[in-house]
Amino acid sequence: MNGISGYAIFLATVFALFATSAHAQGNYEIQVYGADTVAPKSLMVELHSNFTPDGQTKTIDGVYPTNHQEHETVELTEGLTSWSEVGFYIFTSEQAGHGVQWVGDHIRPRVRVPDSWHWPVGVSLSTEVGYQRAVYSPDTWTWEIRPIIDKTLGRWYLAFNPALERTWHGPDVNQGVGFSPGFKVGYDITKVVNAGFEYYADYGRLGDFDTLRNQQQQLFVVTDLNVSPKWEINIGVGIGPTSATDHLIVKGILGRHFDWGNHSPVD
Amino acid sequence: MLTRRQFTQLGAMASASAALEPAAQMQMSPGVPMPAPAPPIPASPAPDFTLTIAPYLLEASPKHRFQTIAYNGQVPGPLLRMKQGRAVTIDVYNHSPDPEIVHYHGLFLPIATDGAMEEGSPMLPPGTSARYTFTPDPAGFRWFHTHTFAGNDLRKGQFSGQHGFLFIDPSTPDPNAPAFDREVFLALHDWGARMMVSGDGSAMPMYEVSTINGKMLGAGEPIRVHQGERVMMHILNSSPTEVHWVALSGHSFRVIALDGNPVPTPRTVEQLRLAPAERVSAIVEMKSPGVWVLGEVRKHVQAAGMGIVVEYANATGAPKWMQPPDLIWDYSQFSAQTGAAPATEDAIDIPLTFDSKFEGHGNPETWRINGKSYPDTEEPVLQAGKRYRLLMKNLSTDDHPIHLHRHTFEVTRLGDGPAMRGLRKDVVLIPAKSASTVEFTADHPGNTLFHCHQQDHMDRGFMMVFRYA
Repeated sequence: MNGISGYAIFLATVFALFATSAHAQGNYEIQVYGADTVAPKSLMVELHSNFTPDGQTKTIDGVYPTNHQEHETVELTEGLTSWSEVGFYIFTSEQAGHGVQWVGDHIRPRVRVPDSWHWPVGVSLSTEVGYQRAVYSPDTWTWEIRPIIDKTLGRWYLAFNPALERTWHGPDVNQGVGFSPGFKVGYDITKVVNAGFEYYADYGRLGDFDTLRNQQQQLFVVTDLNVSPKWEINIGVGIGPTSATDHLIVKGILGRHFDWGNHSPVD
Repeated sequence: MLTRRQFTQLGAMASASAALEPAAQMQMSPGVPMPAPAPPIPASPAPDFTLTIAPYLLEASPKHRFQTIAYNGQVPGPLLRMKQGRAVTIDVYNHSPDPEIVHYHGLFLPIATDGAMEEGSPMLPPGTSARYTFTPDPAGFRWFHTHTFAGNDLRKGQFSGQHGFLFIDPSTPDPNAPAFDREVFLALHDWGARMMVSGDGSAMPMYEVSTINGKMLGAGEPIRVHQGERVMMHILNSSPTEVHWVALSGHSFRVIALDGNPVPTPRTVEQLRLAPAERVSAIVEMKSPGVWVLGEVRKHVQAAGMGIVVEYANATGAPKWMQPPDLIWDYSQFSAQTGAAPATEDAIDIPLTFDSKFEGHGNPETWRINGKSYPDTEEPVLQAGKRYRLLMKNLSTDDHPIHLHRHTFEVTRLGDGPAMRGLRKDVVLIPAKSASTVEFTADHPGNTLFHCHQQDHMDRGFMMVFRYA
């Protein structure tokens, strides 16, 4: 589940139908994936912290407003083989008047093209299934399939995630497949500091995109701090220029890599 | 996320490193005279040895084949055996598509024949040949190999099959030399390299296959031995970049020489460590009948093929491997044990600091000596006959196999280890994040190349030339 999830499509549609300026989206895990997977016998623990200073202020069809919501998501990714992993998410939300709430859980298996295939770009494919409570997303059960392509060119890093989303239970169950691409470009300013942009969008139904004002579009200025192979740090500030998007979001990811294996020097 | 990018694709670096041109890397040091064209080969007399450099299809196993360049259609190349002080001629034919050069590693040769473009040795253009005449010295286990640039083509230079054994028998046999019954020459090598960049920005080649004498474990002929034999094993690590640990299950190694030079204190050890270009000469007493594996101690490298079967006469059964629990090696155990003498007082210090410059997570780093990359590195000037002490500070997180051409040096300290004396080598592995010292006497005038023997490191600047006044 990325920043633009399936239930956001529903809300955007609702807002269009009712000609309001109200919008909502699921900014629980805002991330453009790289193609690599977590190594076997190791675990990546990530905390995604996202705050919406300027978002939806009204409760729409029982869905809480996003304005001033603080989302904390724990992502646990276990490496299975040298080319596969499985991730598990715990979504939470904190907001004045609602306190800290559990939002839902997702599971995300992923496979990638092995190094031995010698492909010129990194390629992997993830699929994500999960549940979220209706007060945070009218579409309670959703499914996503996400191709992931990335490439490193000297100091430049490029990643593209053309994700497809489908609602299994909720108002959008008959909507079909939605298209939600993500893109990242980063530049190594130093060995530690990489700076760049991340773009997230939800264009709506595949083959029948929403109008521009009802599409969700977000552009983040981000930095990745490569302080250690064990740590992952990503910080960003994003704007949503369309009326269907939260207008300002601050995001952060703090990750720590743990080895399970008993690594002997002779392994 | 970026920090998940522990590894990236070779293609990324290949394109991003396009600026790394061979011509730039082969630039000679200022002041080095242009090499003379290779002399034609006379019709007579016949040479002592002939080396033909040509494309070759290596069959490491029936399932693993590598198109490479080799000497005389074999990997490793032929054993060149010569006598100390007796001049030899070697005719070299280059039937490969690229300019080539043969470096005679560990010999005291003039720059015209040493085989390093950076010193002034002439390259051999494709389709040409040349005759080299030199007087072999010093005695011991040496080797020969290509000394060309590989850059982004991880099939060239030391990544290819251009390596072979060279042994110089002493002009006067040493009556105290340990006795043995027969000799075996073994070369450790790695094939199918791909450059991988880790999350911390460092880069290193990773290999598909590892071999001993060009064959994966089980694919070649075994070493056939008899009970009671004393086998002198001359082992060379010809890998372009990898350090290797080897053990022979059920047996021990009596190390008598390192890099061809007798060690002050021979020791019996369970395993050997060889950095790229290092050699170990060790006697194995065959006193455990059976079928055994001589192989890489690290499981994943042995699984990639680095091993050879040692088979006693009349023994049958599957080869047996007993996994050592750890990697063990200590240079200092072979140094003089009578108490380390103080450092040579009149040695002239030459401080050398090694580090790397980050070039992006998609690029290998460039390497520097005293802040500069070859060909811009300093050129310390040596006075013939003087003693020099190289004060090496390795700031990088890599160990580096440092090689000095045309000389041997004495290892006096490695990292946090004890002071040493009497350990003479031409390659030594300098530990990461530490200071080490070696000493040598400038007794072979002529430009002298000093470099890391990892092919990718020397290609990316880790070289310098010492000049004689």
